[in-house]
Amino acid sequence: MSGPLRTAGHLLVVLFQVAVMVGLAPIVAGITRQARARLEGRAGAGVLQPWRDVRKLLGKRPVHAAGASLVTRAAPMVLLASGLTVAALVPLVAARPLPLVPDDLFVVVSVLLVGTVALALLGLDVGSAFGGMGSSRHMMIAAIVEPTVLMAVYALSIPVGSSTLSLIVADRRSDPTSIGSPAGVLAVVALVVVILAETGRLPVDNPSTHLELTMVHEAMILETSGRDLAWVELGSWLRLAALLGLVGNLVLPWGVATDLSVGAVLLGVVAIVAKIALLAGLLGAVEVAMAKLRLFRVPELLAGSFVLAFLAVTASYLVA
Amino acid sequence: MNAVEIGLAAQGVLALLAVVLAVRTDGARRNVLAGTACAALAGAGAFTGALAVAGHEGSLTLRTALPLSPLSLAPDRLGGVFLLVAGLVGVVASVYAIGYAHGAAASRSQWAALALFLLGMQMVPAAADVMTFLLGWELMAAASTVLVLAEQAHRAPAREAALWYAVMTHLSLVALLAGFAVLAAQTDGTGFAALAAVDPSSPEASLAFGLLALGFGAKAGVVPLHVWLPRAHPEAPSHASALMSAAMVKMGVYGLLLVTLRLLPGGPTWWAIVLVLLGATSALYGILQASVASDLKRLLAYSTSENIGLMVLALGLAVLLRGEGLAGPASVALLACLLLVVSHAAFKTTLFLGAGAVLHATGERDLDRLGGLIRTMPWTGAAFAVAAMGAASLPVTGGFVAEWALLQALIHGGRPEDRLVAATIPLALAVVALTAGLALLTFAKAFGIAFLARPRSVGAASAHEVPRTMRAAMVAGAVGVVVIGFAPGPIAAVLATSAGLRGVDAFGLGGLRLAGVGAVLDPAALTLLGVLVTLPALVAVLVLARRRPTVPDVDAWGCGGLRTSPRMQYTATSYAEPLMRIFDDVLQPARDVEVTHVAESRYLAERVQYRQAVDDVIEVRAYAGLIRSANRLADRARGIQNGSIHRYLAFSFAALVLVLVVVAR
Amino acid sequence: MTLTTLAEQLLALSTGALLVTTALFVWRRSLRAATRLLALQGVALAVLVVTIAITERALELVLVAAMVLALKGVVIPVVLRRAVRVGGSGRENAPRLNPTAGLVTVALLTTVAYLVSRPLTVATGGQGGSEAGPGAFAVPIGMTMVLVGFLLLVTRRRAMSQLVGFLVLDNGIATVGFLTAAGVPFVVELGVSLDVLLVALILAVLSGRMGTLFGSADVADLTELRD
Repeated sequence: MSGPLRTAGHLLVVLFQVAVMVGLAPIVAGITRQARARLEGRAGAGVLQPWRDVRKLLGKRPVHAAGASLVTRAAPMVLLASGLTVAALVPLVAARPLPLVPDDLFVVVSVLLVGTVALALLGLDVGSAFGGMGSSRHMMIAAIVEPTVLMAVYALSIPVGSSTLSLIVADRRSDPTSIGSPAGVLAVVALVVVILAETGRLPVDNPSTHLELTMVHEAMILETSGRDLAWVELGSWLRLAALLGLVGNLVLPWGVATDLSVGAVLLGVVAIVAKIALLAGLLGAVEVAMAKLRLFRVPELLAGSFVLAFLAVTASYLVA
Repeated sequence: MNAVEIGLAAQGVLALLAVVLAVRTDGARRNVLAGTACAALAGAGAFTGALAVAGHEGSLTLRTALPLSPLSLAPDRLGGVFLLVAGLVGVVASVYAIGYAHGAAASRSQWAALALFLLGMQMVPAAADVMTFLLGWELMAAASTVLVLAEQAHRAPAREAALWYAVMTHLSLVALLAGFAVLAAQTDGTGFAALAAVDPSSPEASLAFGLLALGFGAKAGVVPLHVWLPRAHPEAPSHASALMSAAMVKMGVYGLLLVTLRLLPGGPTWWAIVLVLLGATSALYGILQASVASDLKRLLAYSTSENIGLMVLALGLAVLLRGEGLAGPASVALLACLLLVVSHAAFKTTLFLGAGAVLHATGERDLDRLGGLIRTMPWTGAAFAVAAMGAASLPVTGGFVAEWALLQALIHGGRPEDRLVAATIPLALAVVALTAGLALLTFAKAFGIAFLARPRSVGAASAHEVPRTMRAAMVAGAVGVVVIGFAPGPIAAVLATSAGLRGVDAFGLGGLRLAGVGAVLDPAALTLLGVLVTLPALVAVLVLARRRPTVPDVDAWGCGGLRTSPRMQYTATSYAEPLMRIFDDVLQPARDVEVTHVAESRYLAERVQYRQAVDDVIEVRAYAGLIRSANRLADRARGIQNGSIHRYLAFSFAALVLVLVVVAR
Repeated sequence: MTLTTLAEQLLALSTGALLVTTALFVWRRSLRAATRLLALQGVALAVLVVTIAITERALELVLVAAMVLALKGVVIPVVLRRAVRVGGSGRENAPRLNPTAGLVTVALLTTVAYLVSRPLTVATGGQGGSEAGPGAFAVPIGMTMVLVGFLLLVTRRRAMSQLVGFLVLDNGIATVGFLTAAGVPFVVELGVSLDVLLVALILAVLSGRMGTLFGSADVADLTELRD
C-alpha cells in the first residue's frame, strides 16, 4: 500500500475507534450505575439509561441565564471535542501511532486539560455561588493531580524510552513480565488514582450526589441544560471510558490490533469493549464499598499516589 | 555598511528622534509622534535581530572620549534571538502606549525614558564586549526605574517599588561588574571572544560564575532575588510592565546563556545543579504566590518569576545533561529554554497589556472587584483568554509547545551514571508538573474571575472597550501566541540553529520533530484531528440550534437562588482558598476574623469581618533582617556627617594627605 | 522458568513490597493498619531471604527465612495488635507532620537513600547491575526503610507508633544486611532478632502502662528526668 492510502486507512480506523467509544461511553456510565444498584439491592434502570437520557436531552432547548456569555455556549462543545480527541488518540482498538499525531501521553493529558478548563470556566460563567465553588474545587484537584499524572507517565515511559502510548502498550504486550514488575504495578495504580480524581469518581467526587456541600462536578453544570447538558455528560463519559480503556490496555495488553487488517481491528473492538465493560463493572462495585473523602483529605490521597508514582520511577532506576 | 550595521545605527538615530519628539511636542500629538518613533526604534531592533538570527554579521564600533576600549556592537545569532524578541515586544508595547498613556504616564520624561529603555534593552543582546553590555544594562536599568516612578505623585507604593527596584537592579549591576572583572583579570581584553579563553574549571571561573549568576538572577527575578518584581510590575504603567516582564527580565536569561554557553562552557557539575535548584525554587514559589494573588498585575508578575524559573531550570538541565554526554536530550532542554523565552514574551506581553486595558476601562486591578468584562470588552477578553491559555500551557499555544519540549527533555534524560544527575531528573519533573498544574488554576482564575460572571464593583459594571491602538497591540500579541502554537516547527528550527543545536527540524504541517529524543509534535494536525472527530457534533449543534433555538435571559438557577447579589459570587480570593489551605505552611497567610455580636445574644453575629493578607514569606524572612542591618549601618554612618563645613573640609584635607602619602611610597 | 528468573521475579516482588509498605506506614495513621503492614513487611523480608537462599544455594538461609517469618511476620505483629487492642484508640491523631508533607518527605528520602547508597553497592562489588550478587542494587530500598523508620520515630507522638517506626528501622537494617552480606551469620541474626523482640515486648507493656497511668501514650508528656 502506498503512504497516503495507508494513512487514510489508519485514519479510518481511528474514526471507527471514536465511533465505538461514543457508542460505548454512555453504556460505561450505565454499567457502573447498574452494578452499584444491584449491589445495593435495587433493580437499577438498565445499562442503556444514560443513552436514553442523552437522547432526551438532545431534544430539549438549552436555557441560558441572563448574562451568560459565549463561554456558556462554547464550553460544552469544547469539553466534548476534548473527550472525542482523547478517544481518538488513546490506543484502544489499535496500538499504532498516527504518523503526524502520535499518541504522546503528554499531548493526551493536555487535551484532557482543555476539557477540564472549559468545564471550570462554564461553572464560573453565570456567576452563581455554586458554580464558582465547583469550579474552584475542580481546578484545585486538577492542579494537584498534574504531578502524579506526569510522574506516572514518566514511570511508564522509562522501560520503552518514549511517552508514546502505543509503544508502551506494545512493549508491555511483548514483555508481560514488565506488567507485574513493581515499577509497572505502582505506575498503573498511581494512574488509576488520578484517573478517578480527574473523572470525578469516588472517593474524590461523588458522581451521584446533589448535596451542595460535597459536589464538585455537578456544581459546575448546575446552570447547563438541554442539549448543552447532553454534550457535557457525553464528554465526561467519553473521558471516563477512554481512560478506563487505557488502563485496560496497560494491564491486559492483549487483543489490541497492531496491524490494520479488518480481522485484527474487529478483534480489537471486541477486546476493548470487554475490557472497558469489565473495568466499569469493577468500578461500580468498588464504589459501593467506598465513602467520599473530605475535600481536604483529597490532597493526602493524591500525595500518596504521587509517592507511588515516584517510587515507580525510583524502582525502575534500581531494578531493570 | 551592511544591513545589520544600518539597523544598529538606525536604532541610535531613532532613539534620539524619539527623545526629541517626546520633549518637544505636547498633548495628544506627543503620544502619537513619540509612540510611533518608539515603535520604529523597536522595529529597527527587531529587524536587526532577524538579520542576525538569519546569520548576517555586522559590527558597529563607537570610539568614546573615555579612556576605555571602544564600544562595539555585533549581535551573534543567539543575541539576535533576544534582540528580535525585545524588538517585537517593543513594537507592540509602543503601539499600545499611544492609546494607553495618559496623565503622568504620558509626560515628557516618561516617553523619553521609554525610548531610552528600548535602546538600552536592544543594546544588551547586541553587545560584543563587556563595556557595551554593561552600558546598555545600566541604561536599561535606569530608564526602567524612571518608568516605575510614573505614578509616584498619587501612589505611595510606587515610590517604594521604585526604591526596591533601584536597589536590586544596582546590586545586580555590582555583581555583574565584579563577575566580569574576575574574568577580565584572567585574560587580556574585555571582548566576549577574549573572555571565552578562561579555563572553566579554575576557581576564578567558579567565582565569576557565582557573581554573574547572582547578577543575572536578580535581573531575571529568580527566587530569592525576585522581591522587586511583584512590586515594580504592578506600579509601572502597563506597557512598561509588559516590556519589563516580557523582554527585560529575559536579558537576565540571555546573560545566563551567555555565561554557560559562550563564555564558560563545560563548567563543573555543581553550576548546573545550582541553576536547576534556583529554577525549580523560582518556578514553584512564583506560581504558588501567583495562584493566591488577587491583584491582577501582581499575579502576572509572580507568574513571570515562575516562567523565568522554568527557563533557568531548562538551561541548568541542558548544561547538566551535556556534561553527562547526553547530547540529544541536552539540546532538547536548551531548545525548551529558548521556546519558553519566545512564547513567554508573546503571552506575557498580551496578558500585561490586557491587564492594562482592564485597568484603563474599570480603574480596578483587584480581581475581587472585577467580573463580567467579556461582555463589555470582547476584544480584550478574547486576547486575554488566548494569552492565558498560553500561560497555562494548553494546546494549541506557544506555552504548550515549550512545556512539551521541556517534558520530553526530562523523560529522555535517560539513566546517567552519575547518581546525583539521575536523582535530579525525577525531582525536576515533579516540580515542572506541579508548576504546570498550578499555572492552570492560576490562569483559569485570572480569566474566569475577571472576564466571566457578574461585575463585582461599579467600575467593572461600567467598563467600556479600549481604543483601537490598544486593541491592535493586544490582538497582535495573541496572534503571536497562536502562531507559535500552530507552527512550532519552523520557529524551533530557527531557534535551534541560533543556539547551534542539531536534531531539531520542521515536520508535517508546521510540526516539530526532535530527532535527538525521537519525539514528534504537530499541533496543526492535532487540531485538524480534533475538528474532524467533532465535526458530526458541530453539524448537529448547528442543525439543532436552528430548529430549537436556546432560551436566553432567564434567571440563573443556582439551586433556587434567584435573589443572589453579585457579592455572593466566588471571588479570586475564595477561588484560591482550597489551595491556600493546602499550602498553608509555605504561604503563611495572615488571617483575621472579627465577629461583632448582636447586643441581645452572643449566639447571633451581627457582622463578620474577614481579612486575609499573603505577604511574600521570603521577603519578610530574608530581607527584613538585611534591611534592618543596612539601616543600622546607615544610622551609624550618619554620625560622620554633622553638617559642619569644617568637618567636610577636614575630610578633604585628610584625604589629600593620605593620597600624597600613598603616592609618595 | 529457570530458578534464576524466578529468583529475579521474587526479588523484584519482595523489594517492591518492602518499598510500598514503607510508604504506606507514613500514609496510614491507624495503628491497626500499621500492625497489618508490619506483618506484610515481615513476610516480604522472609521472601527476600528465601530468594537469596535460592541464588546463593545456601540452605541455612532457609532456616533464617523461617525464623524471620515467624518473628517479624507473626510474633511481633500479634504482640503489637494485642497491645493496640488493650491501649484503646488505635489512631495516631495528630502526627507532627501532616500526611501530605510526610509523603512528599518519603519521596525525598527515597532520593537521598538512592544517592547515599552508592558506596554500599560498590563495596559489594556491583555498579548497580543485577549480576552483582543477589540484588546489591536493591540496597537503596533498605536505606529508604531505615530513613523512613527514623522519620516515623521523629514525627509520631504515641509510643506505639514510635515502636512501629523502630521496627521499620530494624527491618531496613536487616534488608541491607541480607542484601550486602548475602546473609548475616545465623547466630548474629538470631541475637539481633531476639533483642528486637525484647524491645517490642518492653515497649508494648510500657505503652500499656502509660495508657492506664496518664490516659494517653503521648511521648511528648514524658519530659521530666528522674533518677
